[in-house]
Amino acid sequence: MSNWEHLRNFVVLAAAVVALLFVPPIFSIYIRSFFMFMMLYVVLALSWNIISGYTGYVSFGHVVFYGIGSYATGILMVKAGWHWIPTLFAGAAVSGVFAAFLGYAVLRLKGPYFAIAMLGAAEGVRVIATVWESLTGGGDGIGFPNVENSWETYHAMLILTIITIIVAYWVGHSRFGIRLNAIREDEIAAQSLGVNTTFYKISALVLSAIFPAVGGGIQSYKVLYIEPDSEFFILVTIYMKLFAMFGGKGTVIGPILGAVILYSVQEITWIKFPTAHLIAFGLFIIFVARFMPRGLMGFAVDRGWARKGMVH
Amino acid sequence: MSNGAGEIALSVRDLKKHFGGIKAVDGCSFELPKGRISGLIGPNGSGKTTTFNLLTGVLAADSGSVIYNGENISGLRPYQIFNRGISRTFQITRIYREMTVFENMLSASSMRVSEREARTRAEELMEFVTLTKLRGEYGGNLSYGQQKLLEFARALMTDPDLILLDEPAAGVNRTLLQNLLEHIHYLQEDLGKTILIVEHDMNVIMNHCEKIFVMDYGVKIAEGLPEEIQNNEHVIEAYFGH
Repeated sequence: MSNWEHLRNFVVLAAAVVALLFVPPIFSIYIRSFFMFMMLYVVLALSWNIISGYTGYVSFGHVVFYGIGSYATGILMVKAGWHWIPTLFAGAAVSGVFAAFLGYAVLRLKGPYFAIAMLGAAEGVRVIATVWESLTGGGDGIGFPNVENSWETYHAMLILTIITIIVAYWVGHSRFGIRLNAIREDEIAAQSLGVNTTFYKISALVLSAIFPAVGGGIQSYKVLYIEPDSEFFILVTIYMKLFAMFGGKGTVIGPILGAVILYSVQEITWIKFPTAHLIAFGLFIIFVARFMPRGLMGFAVDRGWARKGMVH
Repeated sequence: MSNGAGEIALSVRDLKKHFGGIKAVDGCSFELPKGRISGLIGPNGSGKTTTFNLLTGVLAADSGSVIYNGENISGLRPYQIFNRGISRTFQITRIYREMTVFENMLSASSMRVSEREARTRAEELMEFVTLTKLRGEYGGNLSYGQQKLLEFARALMTDPDLILLDEPAAGVNRTLLQNLLEHIHYLQEDLGKTILIVEHDMNVIMNHCEKIFVMDYGVKIAEGLPEEIQNNEHVIEAYFGH
């Protein structure tokens, strides 16, 4: 990719940032909240994509990192009296270290075995959060002091989204990302051609664990209440996966498009069909899976609207 | 460029690999002359590809050693062996089908060199194997012969000293094969590389290899010059029986 193309992409990103900074004040709190959660799902889909889109190790338990971040913020703010911003860094650190240990254990597994191991890890941590009442509040969860924080959290989520996009962009246009792709394509060949696959897979998992943790922390401070079933809800993982796959996994722009479009569709269908929105959403996804199995970006590449590959 | 006459590039000593009761490699020993093209032949199931996998760390040996530049590399992981200067291709091509030709090339670049250097090297090698026009095409969309060329070029990204080619002629048309063989001779004659070829095509082995090793039932049964191998009774018996 030429310097001109990199510059063009950063101009587009900068324009989006300016719009997200200056447009929301004219909208209601609901619309601001809508944009904040849409950005959260951009972060989650891009993060899931780093491990699952690039290396092909499909995680069904990525919500665990989001939940760890939520609880780090909840515990450190409510029980230790920290300011909310440093709790985000603490959550990212805990999540990253947890991902490194978890990855060392489960990234030896492949395909459905890895997916199930990740699902098990998420469920295991959810159970710990439920039974360790002295630390987590158990099933009752943790309530935060009631404050007006919609602007703080909005701006924090915007900064996190920008950082996540920049990191995802770097992964998607670097030899690091190419090596992750090589692992997805043929792990034995990748090893034989100099890729320390264990190191790269764990690095990808750690990278993909940090941003959801920060997002979870911001979200918990935004809603001012956390409990295990919502912070480790499997539907969050499914959304990450669906949004990334709808846009085109293994690309940078795909998960962003997927999250923006599908989150908007979900929100609209929820308003129009409050009891049947998941059915409408599900039908939409079946349609996409049937007619665009490689997502929007794959659809665009097949028609010559986008170039093949990530590095040119 | 020194041709390394008389020097040993790689020494294999009493290498063994058993799969349950099957003795795939059973005490194999040989020494590869430096800067030469050598051939490894044998009937189907004789242990050639298993030997390749043992040399490159894809499989772990049960016992024995592989000495390369004075170091026993047996037991090292594949990427460690690759980083010591040994590269390989596979019997059935293992190019990355949903990555472009250029990405296939970059994937094998050393992280010790800058991205600019890696890109330059990739461009040179694509030119070397006449794949430049296909640089933006997915590997899976190439013909089988082109995939062989891509895999061959990819194996050269780090400028390895020892190149192991597993059946480079299989499924390749005559024109492409001639092209490939010219590249192999260029690497050996002009750049002093050591090359080991596993091949069933006896024309390739007899006309292009200076030394030949023959395996049967996991052991080396003969080694020598092409004309010596052609007249070796053990070899004739291994291929044609009594």
